[in-house]
Amino acid sequence: MQTATATNGSAVPGPKDLPLLRRGAEVIPGDQKVAIRHHRDEVTLEGAAAQLFLRAGRYLDGKTPLASAAAELGEAPARLEKLCGELEKAGVVAFLSGQSEQVLMSGTDFYKLHRELCNHWLEAVYRHPFWERVVTGRASRAQVIGFAFEKYHYIEAAFEHMGLAAANATPEMMPHLARHFIEEYTHGDIYRKGLRSLFPDEVVLHSQPLPSTRALVNYLNESAQRSSFAYYAGNELLQMTENEDGGAAGAVSEFYDAMRKHYPYTGKVIDSFIAHTRADQNLDHANAFLLMCQSVPPLTMREVNDALNVARNMAEHLLLFMDGIDTFYANFEVVPRLPCDLLSE
Amino acid sequence: MTTTLQSNYRTRRVYEIRPSEGGRELRLSDRVVELGEREFGWYQRVASWLPSVQGVAELSRDLGLDEARVPRLFETFEESGLIYRVDAGARSMTGLEFHERFSTVLNSWLTQAFSHPFWERMMSGKGSARLFTGWLIELYHYTKNANRHMPLSAAHAHEKPIKQLRAKHYAEEWNHYHYFMKSLKALGYTDAQIAESVPLPMTLALSNFMRQAARHDILAYSICSAVLEGTTTDRKTYNPYYDKSGELYGIPREAIQPIYAHLDLDVKYQHSDLFRDILQHVPEMSAERASTVLDYGHQLVEHIWLWTDNIEKYYQVESNPVPRRPFDVRVD
Repeated sequence: MQTATATNGSAVPGPKDLPLLRRGAEVIPGDQKVAIRHHRDEVTLEGAAAQLFLRAGRYLDGKTPLASAAAELGEAPARLEKLCGELEKAGVVAFLSGQSEQVLMSGTDFYKLHRELCNHWLEAVYRHPFWERVVTGRASRAQVIGFAFEKYHYIEAAFEHMGLAAANATPEMMPHLARHFIEEYTHGDIYRKGLRSLFPDEVVLHSQPLPSTRALVNYLNESAQRSSFAYYAGNELLQMTENEDGGAAGAVSEFYDAMRKHYPYTGKVIDSFIAHTRADQNLDHANAFLLMCQSVPPLTMREVNDALNVARNMAEHLLLFMDGIDTFYANFEVVPRLPCDLLSE
Repeated sequence: MTTTLQSNYRTRRVYEIRPSEGGRELRLSDRVVELGEREFGWYQRVASWLPSVQGVAELSRDLGLDEARVPRLFETFEESGLIYRVDAGARSMTGLEFHERFSTVLNSWLTQAFSHPFWERMMSGKGSARLFTGWLIELYHYTKNANRHMPLSAAHAHEKPIKQLRAKHYAEEWNHYHYFMKSLKALGYTDAQIAESVPLPMTLALSNFMRQAARHDILAYSICSAVLEGTTTDRKTYNPYYDKSGELYGIPREAIQPIYAHLDLDVKYQHSDLFRDILQHVPEMSAERASTVLDYGHQLVEHIWLWTDNIEKYYQVESNPVPRRPFDVRVD
């Protein structure tokens, strides 16, 4: 038993106490069972365990000691403790009493956690309706060409955020960020080459990104100036969309095949997308973040939360990037977007 | 290989295209151009051809016109104001001349900024208290984030009088987020809930864009600020939205009153005149600088449109948390 009773009779939290059903967990009641889903974790309880969970739910607030909750429920504390322990292993419950700002997390543990969370956060990006619109040929010319331009602007912005990151790097991160900049700064030209099959070079060079693309780049820029590690935790989420093997890679090939079929004029542009993905994969960037995590000193909870917040924000900015292409080009069909001058307005 | 026509001409911004009797009406900032269906088709082809790698032969085939007649078509479009010669503008201008130019396009810009369907939805009763609250939360963050860009603009201004004006503006505005805090508290949120919340990406993007502008050129920053202040010049522009939302969605008076107090204060400080005051200290702007500054202003307009879109998309989903909390590995 991990809770103790204070002299005044109230329960005092033990070292692994104050259970909390993690924020955002979804409880799906069924016939004689209950499913609990959180991020990519899911557990199903049946029979007596399901009954106990449903009764105990209101005490899983991170404030009520296990002993107090058990007393309120008229349950044996050991039974409730066992259930919460199992739910913790399943990833849907946390114990708040054992947590402290002083606890450190190794870089490699952070890497695993980051990867797991980023894969969850990226699901919304992969589900974005824009992909389906292109695959089924329902996207407009402005949306398809706009997509190519926005990708170009985002990749070309390596000059900005990777340059800022290298210039503001911590000693541990500097060699990684320097290498990354040097390997990536020419990649915008791969996309530029594709766009030049449709537009003159000076038009491509002077074209202007959407505010949502600018938002993504500026968020990278601001993060790069503030914290090397948090910046790369965010950038890694973006890299994961290019470097992942398996499901995502297969879906990307299908997407390009469909794009070629419905929008034949984009052939050379698609060639440039593929050339860029190959260039990234040849650079072995898939391992870059692991190497960084192995080289940084253990992280405080504050640093862990900071880096994970940047990664989550990056996923939201990536979703915004997709929304911008999908919605803005549907409403304002001018593409390429050229900056205004004194006579254009 | 671009042709002479492509190097010489560009299209003017068309803010709205509406069907008219036997054709289309194209609204520019200073005129409405009426085109028949055939001429509108020609215009569309010319507009998409101008920034392309296609030659005149391809354009003439697309238009169904003899190549020799294409230059005359361009002259006609130029006369109507739909396209312009890139070398036709002034090489430089004074700051005040630039302000006059800006003033002629501001209304068209603001119409574009607030053309998002969100506003019609809110005013027609198809919105919700949740959407109203979302807009208010994001306005709180935007106003609080002024502390991320206003002092930066003072830091990057080089001329003393402009530095003074930017600093004074900051001193008058820095704590205005309290007005929105007050509104949100009247809607039942606590100080801690509001203070610990995180903005939507597009709200953060607005302040990041202002930071970018502040670092680039103090006039680029100032035009963005002027576009935003342009939305608050008099009560007629903002009262209908707040009054109607209060009525349609049961928003208590105490939640709306602080917003009016804030807007009235902006009017009292005459912040909408600040851009002109700054430009008085600019004796000459090259055409290149003036274009860059103007472009920042228009980018801000597009930011407002996408900001509205982001607010609507997030807050219309009932399951999304309000206010938005930062990620905490211990509890999330």
